[in-house]
Amino acid sequence: MRHVILAALIFACSAFADNVFFHHHWTLWKDAEVLIWSADKNPAIDPKEFCLSLKRNNTGIGEPKCRLAGEWERDSIAMRYAHWLVANMDGNVKAEHLRARHPAMVAKIQSVEDRLVLFIGEREGSIFAATFDENNVEPVAAGVFTGTKDKIALGDKIASAFFNGSAKRRLSKEERAKRLTEPDESYKEIPGFQGWASIAVGYSQAKIPLTPSNWYSSHINSRVRGYRVTKDSVSLWNFIDDSDPQMAVYIGGTWYGFIGAELMYRYAYHEVKTDPQDTIYRELSYWGFHQHEVGLNVILSKTYTPIKWFKATPFAFMGFQYSFFVEDIGLKDKHKKPSKAYDVRIKFEDSYKGALVGIGSHFVFLNHYGLGLRAGISSRGRNIEEDPSPEAAAEPTTIGSSTIDCFVNLGLEYHFSM
Amino acid sequence: MCILCGCSPSYQWHQSHPSYRKAPTDSIAITGLDEAFVVTRSSWFAKRLEISKDSIQTFTSHFCAKTFLTELRKSYVSVTVIPDAVINQFPEESQKLDTRIFMKGHLPDQGIVVKDSAGKAPAYILIIHEFILGTDLQRENFFDYALLHNEAPEKKTSKNLTAIVSYTLWDNEKQRPLYSAVNQFDQPNMNLSLSDIERIVSTAVKQITQNLTSGVQ
Repeated sequence: MRHVILAALIFACSAFADNVFFHHHWTLWKDAEVLIWSADKNPAIDPKEFCLSLKRNNTGIGEPKCRLAGEWERDSIAMRYAHWLVANMDGNVKAEHLRARHPAMVAKIQSVEDRLVLFIGEREGSIFAATFDENNVEPVAAGVFTGTKDKIALGDKIASAFFNGSAKRRLSKEERAKRLTEPDESYKEIPGFQGWASIAVGYSQAKIPLTPSNWYSSHINSRVRGYRVTKDSVSLWNFIDDSDPQMAVYIGGTWYGFIGAELMYRYAYHEVKTDPQDTIYRELSYWGFHQHEVGLNVILSKTYTPIKWFKATPFAFMGFQYSFFVEDIGLKDKHKKPSKAYDVRIKFEDSYKGALVGIGSHFVFLNHYGLGLRAGISSRGRNIEEDPSPEAAAEPTTIGSSTIDCFVNLGLEYHFSM
Repeated sequence: MCILCGCSPSYQWHQSHPSYRKAPTDSIAITGLDEAFVVTRSSWFAKRLEISKDSIQTFTSHFCAKTFLTELRKSYVSVTVIPDAVINQFPEESQKLDTRIFMKGHLPDQGIVVKDSAGKAPAYILIIHEFILGTDLQRENFFDYALLHNEAPEKKTSKNLTAIVSYTLWDNEKQRPLYSAVNQFDQPNMNLSLSDIERIVSTAVKQITQNLTSGVQ
């Protein structure tokens, strides 16, 4: 029991003695050249043993090469700073208090490039350690360790305190030079014009999710008797199937990643909901309407680039469309002459004018190849091209003047910028 | 509070090193006294003090330095004077006190211990960077970089005699700034005489020594 308490006490003391003052983010290079820089005649760690400690501690670090920073140790300004560092490092200072002030020292630290500099200094029996990288004129990590004659144990402690995390591949001279001239991603300009073309498949239906069914049930359940009779004719969904697959083509573009416009064309085929109990349809082989729609949308969007090769552009759109319903009807072969009801069957308007509104998003990979997802609501109504006549009230209601449905599309897109 | 006072932004005018544990008590070295003193309205001062305009700067500088030293000797047993030239060989640097407040001055290099004329290394050096003497001055106009280029008002007032001092207490053993501050002193101006200047300089010295103590972390 006594031994356990003693061991615990020793552990507690050493845990207190080994103290990391700060450890900011810095780049750990793979296969790095580690410069061990010390003002002491006999540095507290051995370069060769330290390299082995690094490999033991972090297997991802590759094959580091460690050596004493001879050039720094012969530089009187660097040595003055080294002595100053040992005197000034303690638990209550921040990195900024250890900043190198002499211009020559600043230049020296900034020329470290992709080497790792480990400073080691001894004061009053404790070993102070700090690391430097090329982007800071102050240590990026610093701490104190219990002084020991065992250079391997100390190397292990320092390696595990400062050299954890994933190591990055060192860049070649050409790559470094190129990196310096590369524009910063954060300052990347949004292209003036970003265009896209898309082919999409989708589905539409009269019932809009999260709205009560009784808004649509009379239209959806309605059947056509005798080629023209329904309960009401306000919506085309009284006559034709509302839930059908659709195909769409979009061509559009956004300016400065914010405002845009697109042309669209959509196609769907809707069968007429004939009443199966009505015997008059025995002559009929097929009866349906091809729905063609062309429209123009205005788009507001914003682009996010979470990863270099991927962009997400959520958008909202609003626009208008013209809808054309082209009838496709055929009799069975044996019925050469259609019935009288067939000849006076329901006729839709030549065209309908409507509006659509919705939201969606482009997901663009490698700047060009995208997936587009969108959902919205579209309407079709009377296409008024002349002023209503004074007798308008007496006129019969336009068939399908309130035909509303919702849609969802998934498209393959190609994006290009100018 | 600020709205009540009518002052615009509030500034932090001093900075202590986190390891500043003990203020100097018995002995202190001082430097900067040769060149720190500046009079902003030389003709106004020259007229009041009846000294020629050409020699007003030199005269007040000497007078203030002498007063400063006399007053400092009342607070410390031993005061060593280090000539400005010793410190001026080091490059001028900025010390940040607040987001927009920077004070400039010469500070010894890291790793170099400053010695006095007797060859001894004092533990603490009080470095006076600037001592501005004028009327109705505001320290932010001199040290807030956003206000530096503001033009002075056409009509100069002289309700108060103002002194603005920027200084650093330097740890000569470990070569670090222990306490840096910019202080402003206002004194109602009746009819300017040398004793008024003497009074404002000694107020400043008393306040500075107090601040050095209160700045201990």
